[in-house]
Amino acid sequence: MTTFTELLLGGLSMGSVYALIALGFVVIFKATEVVNFAHASLLLAGGYVTAVLHDDLGFWPALAVGIAGAAVVGSAVDFLVMRRYRGSDHSVLAIVTIGVDILLTTELTRLIGTDVMALGDPWGDRVVNLGEITIAQTRIAAFAAAALLITAFLLAFRYTSWGVAMRAAAENPQTAALMGVRLGRVSMSAWAVAGALAAVAALFLTVFPTPGLERATSLAALKAFPAAILGGLDSTTGALAGGLIVGVTESFATGYQSELTFLGGGIGDLAPYLVMLLVLLARPAGLFGTKELARV
Amino acid sequence: MSDTSRPGPVTPAPDAPAGQAADSGTAGPSVPESAASKPSAPAAVPDAHAADTDTEPAASATPAEPSAAEPPEPPTAVRPTWLRARPRPRAYAWVALSLLLLALPFYLDRFWLQAGLFAMAAAIGAIGLNLLTGATGQLSMGHAFFLAVGAYGYCVLAGGNEVESGHQLTGFGLPTWLAAVLAVCLAGLAGGVFSPIAGRLRGAYLGIATLALIFVGQHVLFNARDLTGGFNGRSVPPLSLFGFDFDDAELVVAAVPFQSMEKLWYVALVALLACGLFARGVLRGRPGRAMNALRDHRIAAGVMGVPVARYRAAVFVLSSMYAGLAGVLLALVFQRTVPEYFGMILSLEYLAMIVIGGLGTVAGAVVGAVFVSLLPQVLTRWSDALPLVSAPGTGGVSPGEASRYLYGAAVVAVVLFLPGGLTRLVPSSREKK
Amino acid sequence: MKSRTYAAVLAVLALTVTAGCSSKAASGDGDTKGAGGVKTGKGVSDKTITLGVLTDMTGVYASLGKSVTQAQQLWAKQTNAAGGICDRKIELTVRDHGYDPQKAVAGYTELEPKVLGFAQFIGSPFVAAVEQRIDGQNKGLVLPQAWSASLLGSPYIRVIGATYDIETINAVDYLLAEKRIAKGDKIGHVFFEGDYGENALAGSRYAAKQAGLTVVEQKIKPTDNDMSAQVAALKKAGVKAILLSAGPRQAASLVGVAAAGGFNVPVIGNNSAFAPQLLATPAGPALAKDFYIAASTLPIGAPDAGPAKLAKEYKAAYPKDGLDNGVVAGYTAASVFGEALKKACDSKDLTREGVDKALLTLNKYESDFGITHDFSDPAAPSTRKSLIMKPDKSVPGGLKVVRPATAAKAADSYKPSAG
Repeated sequence: MTTFTELLLGGLSMGSVYALIALGFVVIFKATEVVNFAHASLLLAGGYVTAVLHDDLGFWPALAVGIAGAAVVGSAVDFLVMRRYRGSDHSVLAIVTIGVDILLTTELTRLIGTDVMALGDPWGDRVVNLGEITIAQTRIAAFAAAALLITAFLLAFRYTSWGVAMRAAAENPQTAALMGVRLGRVSMSAWAVAGALAAVAALFLTVFPTPGLERATSLAALKAFPAAILGGLDSTTGALAGGLIVGVTESFATGYQSELTFLGGGIGDLAPYLVMLLVLLARPAGLFGTKELARV
Repeated sequence: MSDTSRPGPVTPAPDAPAGQAADSGTAGPSVPESAASKPSAPAAVPDAHAADTDTEPAASATPAEPSAAEPPEPPTAVRPTWLRARPRPRAYAWVALSLLLLALPFYLDRFWLQAGLFAMAAAIGAIGLNLLTGATGQLSMGHAFFLAVGAYGYCVLAGGNEVESGHQLTGFGLPTWLAAVLAVCLAGLAGGVFSPIAGRLRGAYLGIATLALIFVGQHVLFNARDLTGGFNGRSVPPLSLFGFDFDDAELVVAAVPFQSMEKLWYVALVALLACGLFARGVLRGRPGRAMNALRDHRIAAGVMGVPVARYRAAVFVLSSMYAGLAGVLLALVFQRTVPEYFGMILSLEYLAMIVIGGLGTVAGAVVGAVFVSLLPQVLTRWSDALPLVSAPGTGGVSPGEASRYLYGAAVVAVVLFLPGGLTRLVPSSREKK
Repeated sequence: MKSRTYAAVLAVLALTVTAGCSSKAASGDGDTKGAGGVKTGKGVSDKTITLGVLTDMTGVYASLGKSVTQAQQLWAKQTNAAGGICDRKIELTVRDHGYDPQKAVAGYTELEPKVLGFAQFIGSPFVAAVEQRIDGQNKGLVLPQAWSASLLGSPYIRVIGATYDIETINAVDYLLAEKRIAKGDKIGHVFFEGDYGENALAGSRYAAKQAGLTVVEQKIKPTDNDMSAQVAALKKAGVKAILLSAGPRQAASLVGVAAAGGFNVPVIGNNSAFAPQLLATPAGPALAKDFYIAASTLPIGAPDAGPAKLAKEYKAAYPKDGLDNGVVAGYTAASVFGEALKKACDSKDLTREGVDKALLTLNKYESDFGITHDFSDPAAPSTRKSLIMKPDKSVPGGLKVVRPATAAKAADSYKPSAG
C-alpha cells in the first residue's frame, strides 16, 4: 500500500509537470492550429538559461530569466518562421517545427556538451515523510507550481481580454480578425506562454530525483505529446487530464514492472503511448477534444 | 507488391525509362494526362461514380488491396508520344544520368557505393511517405516502424534457426527473393492492421498516434529476442536471385571486382525505378487526384464521391509497403539489422526528405532522400577541407552537427522560400498550365 | 530514335571498356615489402601507420568518446615524439558517428581500406554489425570501447579488460567479502536494456546462484533519468544491496533517491556508471557515502605512477577538459595496439595478419594501470580481475581505490557465453 501511494503521488507530481508542457502545446494548437514539435527544444532552452545563470544571479532571478528566455525563443520562432509561411497546410507547418527543433536542439546540445548541469534549486534532495510515505520536496513543489500556473492560466484564459482574443481566434480566425483581434499578436503570445510553461517544466524535470540538465532532458517532452493528444489537442482541460494520466500510468508501469514481465521489461516509457492508442480507438478526438461533426 | 522481382513496365531499350520519364514531363499537359488516366477508369476507383455523401462510415472501411491501384502507364500507351517527341536536351540529360548511374559501380569505392545505396533505399521509403504525407496529407511519424518491419521481416523469413551471440534465433529459411517479397507484404499488412486507427485520425492526432508505433516497435525489437536478436540485432542473409548471390564473394566484371555493394547497386536501381514509376502512375492517374483532393479538402472530396476511409487506408498500406521495401534494401546494405536504427530520428529524417525535396512528387522524394542521406557523408569525408566544420576531436562544429544544422535549416528554408521543394529549382514545362 | 539506341549501346560498350581503366580494376592492395624489410599491407606506408578511430562525440556516449579519443590522440603524439613505431609515425583518423548505426557502418566502410586497424570503436551493436566483414574479409584488429561478452570469440575484435558479467561477479564478491550481504539475501539489479545491462545481468545471476542470493531485476532504458519508481520497488522487495548497470545519470538519481528516502543500502555499479561531473550535482554527497564502482583499470586519480603521469600529461594537453576513466581506457587501448605493433615490427610483419598474430603472443601485458592482460585466447576476456573504487571529491577523476585488482572465485569459474 505504501508503494502504491508513493507511486501514485510521484505519478501525479510528474503528471502535473507533463500537463504544463502539454498545456503549452495545446495553447499553440488552439491559437494557430499548428502542432509544435519544437516544444522539446523550447524546454531545453529554458532549462539551459537557468542552469547557466544560477551561479551568478541566484536561483530565482535565474529562473525568471530562463522563463523569459524560453518565451522569447518561442515568440521568435513564431515571428521569424511560422509567420513567414504563406501556404495553408498545417501539417507542412508541423514539419517546419521539426526543422526548427533539429536546429535548436543541435545548438543546445552542442552548448551543453557532456555536462550534467545543476539548476541550483532551493529544495535539494530533502524529502518529506508522511507516515510511511516518503516524497521529495521537489515533487511537492512541482505539483504546487503546476497547479498554481494552470489555475492562473485558466483564469486568464477565461476572464482577461487576452484570453477572449485567444478563444475567439481559436473559434474562427477570420471572424476574430474582422472583429479586431490581432491574430499575429495572439499567435506570438501563445508561443511565448508555451515557452514559459516549458521552462518551468524544465526546472522540475531536472531537479532532485533526476541528476540535472543534460542533452537528453528534451526527450522528456516527448511524453507530453501523448498527454496532449489523449486529452484532446484543443482542450486545456484535456491537457491537464492527459498529463496526469500519463504521469500516473508511467509511474505505475515502472513501479510494478516486475509484475508486468510478460510485456517485456522496461514498459514504463511505452505505457503512456499504449494508453493513448486505446483512448484514440474509442475517441478519435481525445477525451475532451472537440469532435468533428462532418461525416462523409 | 512485387515490383522488385517483376521487370515492371520498363521496356528493354536501355534508355527507354529515361526517355519516357522525360517526354511525359515535357510534351505538354494534355497527352500524358489522357494516356495515364485511360487504363485507370474502370479498375481503380470502383465507386467513384457513387456521389452519395454518406456512403462510407469511417469505421466500417476495410483496407483496399494495394493491387487495386492501377499499374503505371503501360509503355504501349506512351509509345506514340514517345516517338512523336523530338529529342530534347532534357531527354539527353536523362540518358546521361542513367548511363552514369549504371557506370558508377565500376568506379566508386565501397564507401560511396554504400552511401549511394543508403540514398536509394531512403528514396524508396521517401516515395512511400510522400504518397502518404505529401499527396494525401496524412502526417506519419511512424515510417521507421514500417522500415523495421520490412528489414526484420526479411531477416526472420530468410534466416534459419541459428545461434547468434549465444542466443537461439527463429527463422523460416525461405528463399531470399520470396522472403523479400513477403517482407514487403508484411509491412503492408502491418499498415493494414494499423488502419482502424489511421483511418479515423487526422493531422496531428495521426502524427502522434504513429509516433506510438515507433515506441511499440522498438520495444518489440529489443524484447522479442527469438525473432529480432535483441539489442545486437540479427545478421541479414544475402539476397539470392535466380541462383545469383548478392554477397561479398568477388565476381570480376570487366576487370573490376564486384562485391555485395556493386551487385546490390543494380538491384536497388531497378527497385527504385520500378517504385518511382509505379508511384508516378498512381499520382498522375485518378487515384492521385483523389488523394490530393483528400489532402486539400476531405469533406469536399467525400462529397465528390471519393471513398474517403477506404482511400486513406489504402494509401497507408501502400506507403507501408514502400517503407517495407526500403527496409529490406537497407537490411541488405547494412548486412545486420540493429534496433537502435529504427527510432524517431529516422522518421524525422524521412519527413525532412520529402519536405526538402518537394511534397507530393516522386522526384521530390528522390531528391530529398539523396540530399539528406548524402549530406553527412559528404561533410564527414571532407570535413578537413570545409570552413567552419572541424574534424572530430578538435572542438568546434563537428561534421555530424554541421549536417544536422544544414538539413534543419533546409527544412525551414525550403518551406518558407521554396514552396514545392528543391525540385522546383528545375523548371518544367508542366508548370506553365 | 534508331540513332539514339545506337548511341546508347555504344556508350554502354565504351563504358565496359573504360571500366578496365577504373582505379578499382586489378586493385593492387596485396602485401608489399616496405622500408626496413618489413612486410606491410593496408594502412601502412614507409612513413606512417594509420589507425582508425570510430567514436561518438555528439551522441549518447559523447562524454566517454571525447575522453577516449583525446587520450588516444595524446598517446599518438607521445609515441611519435619518441620516434614512432617501426620508424613510422602513428596517424589516427577519427570519425564521429554520433551513435547512429548508419554513420557508424559508413565510417567503418570508409576507413577500413585506409587503416591498419581500429584503436577505438564505440557501440557494440555497430561492432556486431560489421563483425562479419571484420572476421570474413578485412581481418584488421579492432579494439571496441565496450565490455560485453558478446564481443568475445573473434580473433580480430578484442575486448580489453574484464567483461561486464565478470565485473558484476566481482562486484557481488566485494559486497560478500565486506559482509554487506550474506547467503539468503535479496539484491537488486537495475540495468539498461541492451548489451551492457543484459550481459551484466548474466553475471549477477551467476554470482547470486553461487552465493545463494536472489536477484530482483529492474530493467530501465537509457532515457530514464528518474529512479524513484525503481527505488520504491526495490525497497518494497527488501533488497540488501543494489547493483547498477546503467549510466552515470541513473547512478546519481538512484543513489540520491535511496539516500533521501532513508533506504541505506550499498550501491555498486559497472565501470560506465560513474562520471566525475556527478559529484557537483545535489546527489554528490550521497554518492560519496556508500557507492562503489567495479572496473578493470586504476582510476585516473590513483597515486600510482601510471595514472599520475597520464593525468599530468592529459591535463597539460587538454587543460579545459575534465579527467575521467575514459582517459585511462582510451590510453590503455592505444597502448595495447602500440604494443602489438612493436611485436609485429620485431617479426618484420606489419600486415593485418602480422598484428593479429603479434597480439596473440601478448599473454602477460603489464599495463600501467593496475591490471595484467592476457590476449592469447580470443574467447576469454583479457583479465578476470576488477578493482573496486569509491567516489572521492578530493582526487582528480573523482574515484579512489578501495580494493585492488582481485578475481572472485566465482569469476574464475564463470564461463562467458561468447558470440
